[in-house]
Amino acid sequence: MMPIWTKSGEKHAVTLLKVQDCHVLRYVSKEESGGKTAKLLVGGKNVSPFSKPESAHEIFKEAGVPQKQKVTTFNVTDDAIIKPGTPLYAAHFRPGQFVDVTAKTIGKGFQGVMKRWGFKGQPASHGQTKTHRRPGAISTNKAAKVYCGKKMPGKMGNIYRTSFGLKVWRINTKHDIIYVNGSVPGHTNCLVKVRDSKLPTYKNCNKNPPFPTFFADGDEELPEDLFDEEIFQFTDPSVTFS
Amino acid sequence: RVSSDGKPPKFQPPPKPVIIDRKTRKEERRFLSPEFIPPRGRTDPLKYYIERKDMIQRRKVFNIPEFYVGSVLAVTTADPFASDKSKRFVGICIQRGGKGLGATFVLRNVIEDQGVEICYELYSPRIQAIEVLKLEKRLDENLTYLRDALPEYSTFDVNMKPVPRMDQEEIPVNKLQVRMKPKPWSKRWERPKYNIKGIKFELPEHKMKAAQKWSQPWLEFDMLREYDTSKIEEKIRKELSEELEK
Repeated sequence: MMPIWTKSGEKHAVTLLKVQDCHVLRYVSKEESGGKTAKLLVGGKNVSPFSKPESAHEIFKEAGVPQKQKVTTFNVTDDAIIKPGTPLYAAHFRPGQFVDVTAKTIGKGFQGVMKRWGFKGQPASHGQTKTHRRPGAISTNKAAKVYCGKKMPGKMGNIYRTSFGLKVWRINTKHDIIYVNGSVPGHTNCLVKVRDSKLPTYKNCNKNPPFPTFFADGDEELPEDLFDEEIFQFTDPSVTFS
Repeated sequence: RVSSDGKPPKFQPPPKPVIIDRKTRKEERRFLSPEFIPPRGRTDPLKYYIERKDMIQRRKVFNIPEFYVGSVLAVTTADPFASDKSKRFVGICIQRGGKGLGATFVLRNVIEDQGVEICYELYSPRIQAIEVLKLEKRLDENLTYLRDALPEYSTFDVNMKPVPRMDQEEIPVNKLQVRMKPKPWSKRWERPKYNIKGIKFELPEHKMKAAQKWSQPWLEFDMLREYDTSKIEEKIRKELSEELEK
């Protein structure tokens, strides 16, 4: 995470996400998947194939792509279908766009009710016998049962969670890095899924995105760094107010 | 040897050796700002490389001078609410924290009997000028104990003139031992964990001995805590000098 300053001198914290060897693996049509839209399987980071079973090698052999650590699905409209085997780059996103980031949260193991659900517990003194971090009552008398989904101690973390509506401040095309506003679930160097935001406020925020994706054919020459309009670039002199 | 006259040749002393101290000269004045050194961790070094590029870019446009904890600085920042739209603050640098772009330094001064500490970010675009009025080091790397010292040690004239300095001299170490206000202090500075050398403790002997009870003498031999930055520093210095010359 890094600080980033706007032209008016305000500071924002930013997370760096690296797009590492992403390739489209397979196209699954609407009828095949049984959903509402077609799906594209995309694979992330390269990994050695020797630790995976032969059955897992198939998809990658068809696409002609090295074994990937993670495979995710993206729901895609028919006009945005990409041929399997095309690499995906960070330039697929543009600064000023809003993005949802999904990842597995940091695993905390088996945790008690105070850390996991934020219960208040009991006082440390004044006669409390062996009860300082316990949940207390779990149901009422009339209910005569414990409701399903009652907040109780258990394994915390290591589940998929999404941060919605994160602004993309800057894109580094040379190293394929996306600078995303705020924090993102997961530990450092964990695998993350970045998607265009589904929030209704940011529906029409993306004007002229590279559609269906950014192809590094050499037609479009992008500068090494793409900045949002409001970012203070370090090539400019210091900010002055008038 | 036979001379032309038959007399012994006139003694000619050998030429005086000219000692060019190249090695010591070069090793001396190489200061690397502490925020360039990456902390120990499992982050990808690519992140530090990119952050360093941004820091170098900022340093090309805006001059961040060399300073240490204990030097007196004057910082002018842009402020939308001030009448001149800029604010100037003079103070002694108490501590330097943070790594990379978020590096900060805290300046302390006593203005009209009120101690004021302001934490500035080195790479913030709001900073318009940083002048070093007095470049010197102190006995410690963290002068937060000045909060519990007598106010005379933290007062600096706001209109102080910069102290002139030769370029190639070594940075002077001010071995000032500061006198404290009566206890209680914000932290127990006499304890060995702070390892403070710049305070003149006027505490009784038995209290100083009792404070040694919290010493952890095994810490200096702990190998897992060792972080040798010499090679990393060399690489970063090379990178910096190359980039700044461009």
